[in-house]
Amino acid sequence: MVTTTLPAQKDKKLPTSWKNWIGVIPFFIFAILFLLLPSIRLFVGSFTTEGGKFTLDNMAQLFSQRVILDAYKISIQISAITALAGGIFGFMLAYAITVGGLPKPLRTALITFSGVASNFAGVPLAFAFVATLGRTGFITAIMKTYFNMNIYDKGFNLYSFIGLCLTYLYFQFPLMVLIMAPALDGLKKEWKEAAMNLGANNMQYWLKVALPVLLPSILGSMILLFGNAFGAYATAYALTGGALPIVTILIGAQIRGDVLHNPGLGFAMAMGMVVIMAVSLGGYSWLQSRTERWLK
Amino acid sequence: MTWLSKIRKVPFWSWFWFVLGVLYFVLPLYATLDFSLRMERDTISLKAYQSAFSDPEFLKTFLYSIFLAAMTIVVSIALVVPTAYWIRLRLPQARRIVEFITLMPFVVPAIILVFGLIRIYSSPFTIPFTSIVLMQPLTNFKVGTNILIIGGYTVLGLPYMYRSVDTGMRTVDVRTLTEAAQSMGANWGTIITKIILPNVRTALLSGALLTFAIVVGEVVLASFLGIPAFGPYLFLLGQHRAYEPAALAFTTFLLTWAAMGIIQLVTGGQSQAAGAH
Amino acid sequence: MRTNKFVLPIFVIFVILATALSACGPAATEAPTQVVDMTDPMAELVAAAKAEGMLTTIALPHDWCNYGGMIDGFKAKYGLTINELNPDGGSGDEIEAIKANKDNSGPQAPDVVDVGFAFGTSSKAEGLLMPYKVSTWDSIPADAKDPEGYWYGDYYGVMAFLVNTDVQPNVPQDWADLLKPEYAGQIALSGDPRTSNQAIQAVYASGLANGGTLDDFQPGLEFFKQLNAAGNLIPLIANNGLVAKGEIPIRITWDYNGQAAIDSFAGNPKAELVIPSTGRFAGVYVQAISAYAPHPNAAKLWMEYVYSDEGQNIYAQGYCHPIRETDMRARNVMPAEITSKLPDAAGAVFPSVAQLDAAKATITTEWDTVVGANIQAAP
Repeated sequence: MVTTTLPAQKDKKLPTSWKNWIGVIPFFIFAILFLLLPSIRLFVGSFTTEGGKFTLDNMAQLFSQRVILDAYKISIQISAITALAGGIFGFMLAYAITVGGLPKPLRTALITFSGVASNFAGVPLAFAFVATLGRTGFITAIMKTYFNMNIYDKGFNLYSFIGLCLTYLYFQFPLMVLIMAPALDGLKKEWKEAAMNLGANNMQYWLKVALPVLLPSILGSMILLFGNAFGAYATAYALTGGALPIVTILIGAQIRGDVLHNPGLGFAMAMGMVVIMAVSLGGYSWLQSRTERWLK
Repeated sequence: MTWLSKIRKVPFWSWFWFVLGVLYFVLPLYATLDFSLRMERDTISLKAYQSAFSDPEFLKTFLYSIFLAAMTIVVSIALVVPTAYWIRLRLPQARRIVEFITLMPFVVPAIILVFGLIRIYSSPFTIPFTSIVLMQPLTNFKVGTNILIIGGYTVLGLPYMYRSVDTGMRTVDVRTLTEAAQSMGANWGTIITKIILPNVRTALLSGALLTFAIVVGEVVLASFLGIPAFGPYLFLLGQHRAYEPAALAFTTFLLTWAAMGIIQLVTGGQSQAAGAH
Repeated sequence: MRTNKFVLPIFVIFVILATALSACGPAATEAPTQVVDMTDPMAELVAAAKAEGMLTTIALPHDWCNYGGMIDGFKAKYGLTINELNPDGGSGDEIEAIKANKDNSGPQAPDVVDVGFAFGTSSKAEGLLMPYKVSTWDSIPADAKDPEGYWYGDYYGVMAFLVNTDVQPNVPQDWADLLKPEYAGQIALSGDPRTSNQAIQAVYASGLANGGTLDDFQPGLEFFKQLNAAGNLIPLIANNGLVAKGEIPIRITWDYNGQAAIDSFAGNPKAELVIPSTGRFAGVYVQAISAYAPHPNAAKLWMEYVYSDEGQNIYAQGYCHPIRETDMRARNVMPAEITSKLPDAAGAVFPSVAQLDAAKATITTEWDTVVGANIQAAP
């Protein structure tokens, strides 16, 4: 028999028998063995004092300490801003090398470069930006000699929130490029031709056909960018030395530092990050279900 | 599209974004390179590079990290592709929880992960309530430690690999492909290896590149598990010097880029133009 | 594309084979048992250590106090392998590593640690250390060791300024000089004062020159508040690269770090080390053996080496004052070329553990509020 059962299957509700969970069991086993079990200490420790007794004090401090609340706010701000900016510009780059008609070798070069740059972080990245835009950076010098403009006098400062955002983008753009390039590849030529045939111009094609199709992928990538920036530590530490209080630096201070060493509080802050990621994921899922509605 | 309209369509905006991107990426690298060449006063020299590379450990640890990266990529793909596929096809309910798990590595600091791994896997595996030892602790022998670090690296790369594969599968209609293949009599093994994998190849490549970069540059897991990897070596060398770290950073960038080019060649490169399947 | 179909499987097989082969490396062979003169405890220790074959250290950067030389010397003398964990660790990391590896007899468990002064007592209280008194125990000053032998000071240095004289030829001579307007945007600490030993002790030290004492740390915080308000302090963590670049011409750091940096610069840039004329503050680090050390004899042998004249001189080559310096100078066993290069630490004050703890507590909590060297986020 050649007819497929496609239409019928689309309407039928998927069976929720336990057999359906077999396929994801390896993943869950792996996650338990290598992620969840080792992180148990995170969960348990956030409710423990240094002496080992149960306490809600760590959690309470999350809400009572001004510094911690501010840190969450700043972390979220930086992550959201770099996710958005990274998403938009990264998308434009991905567009340029896929649908945008640039020569093939440029695509290969950018894709492989993005692979490397996506992980270029920490002290080397901070130093690279200091050498470019710091007070003795070469762009700063060029601006001074050729354009007679001292950007630091004009209020720019690399060691600031904006400077950190600028630096974070170095690994956010490539990440977006890498995830979106395959998605842009999936845009079928036929759709564009069909749209053109129906009288749409380029802008209409993009607004009404291409972007809606791509939107779930774009959103998915942006949440990845958000998480990427949210969990970043080494770059912020290297560039601002702890003077910009973000959550990862505060956690590091509690867990690794020579001094403060209240791991329970550190774990509690990490649990706070878990909650924030969960909430972001919830928001993203909701957005995605709205946009994926009419996609099979 | 006729050739006439193609010529008219010089992709100005594409070039615009591309050049902007290139500027942004290249300038900081140039600044690093420039600094690294100035180890000798008032002249450009390769002294910093000579100093950094006089150590045979450089190549040894770099190759070892590449080996670990390759293993991690294999494990990652074997883990993520069937899972993403299964979720798409049979179990959308699990999507949220799996995505949540794949985002967890962002918020679990690497140092907690490594100490957790050590704590759990440093005691022998026994059958509960007996003292029968099934296996010596993983940390006691080399293969065991390698297993631990590959597991740890896979965890670190999970967000990127899963997101890549998921995006790739979304643009390829896996459901129709599967049904078409099934109606032709293919079994699951054939479907996954011959139908699904080739179609998500660019996505797999993205995921592999990301994982590779993560593994080669990783420091915390490797240094606490006592693995002779590239990351800890770089740290040992460059911490307190001035010029060598810049030389090392630049070289590592180039070497990793070259390695990625090779990965690209091995996997057949970008054969997909927009929309062509 | 047909050929490419095979590349991936072959690649995978190759990798699997490589793993298997690498795992089949020769197992660690036991050192042949030698005939030992059982009446010489040192020889006994050496034999036992060689039987263990390996020592695991942690957080020992090679450029810090010439640990590179110490490790090489130990390897050359006794032929043991040294397994170096986490070269960039802080004292907190080292303690965490001991705790995490309690049940672990593998090479991830550190045998010996080198931690900040205050960590000695706290780790002992947590039961993480094993006592051992080296043969040269008596020549270690009493206030730098635990009477029961759980921890013992190994070296000390004095807080100093590393100055890039190409960028800033006008070298500050004392803490008060740092406030001068010519140093605007040029000074930075070597760590975050909320977490780094070095940075906290810098703040502590500055207080001494500003009317403070070992028990009163507020003047230190006040000094940095002024420094920050004057715009002289950059909120970066200074490292040698940034000093060489000229981005941070003045770095506040331990004298031994500064001197080692000047050596590595080799004249490019020209730099000077300044020990402030007032407010000389000495920081001591301590060695200890982990209570869960998988190689206790190797650990003890390491201690013997570090505290021998040879080992202490190796520290001195790294510009650190060895803890047994007074004794060694009295016995004339420090070569002139080493002593001539040691930074002058005359008049340096040594805080006690209690004072350090109190300073830590105050400085870390009040840094934000008093000094306020925080970067303001976007509104």
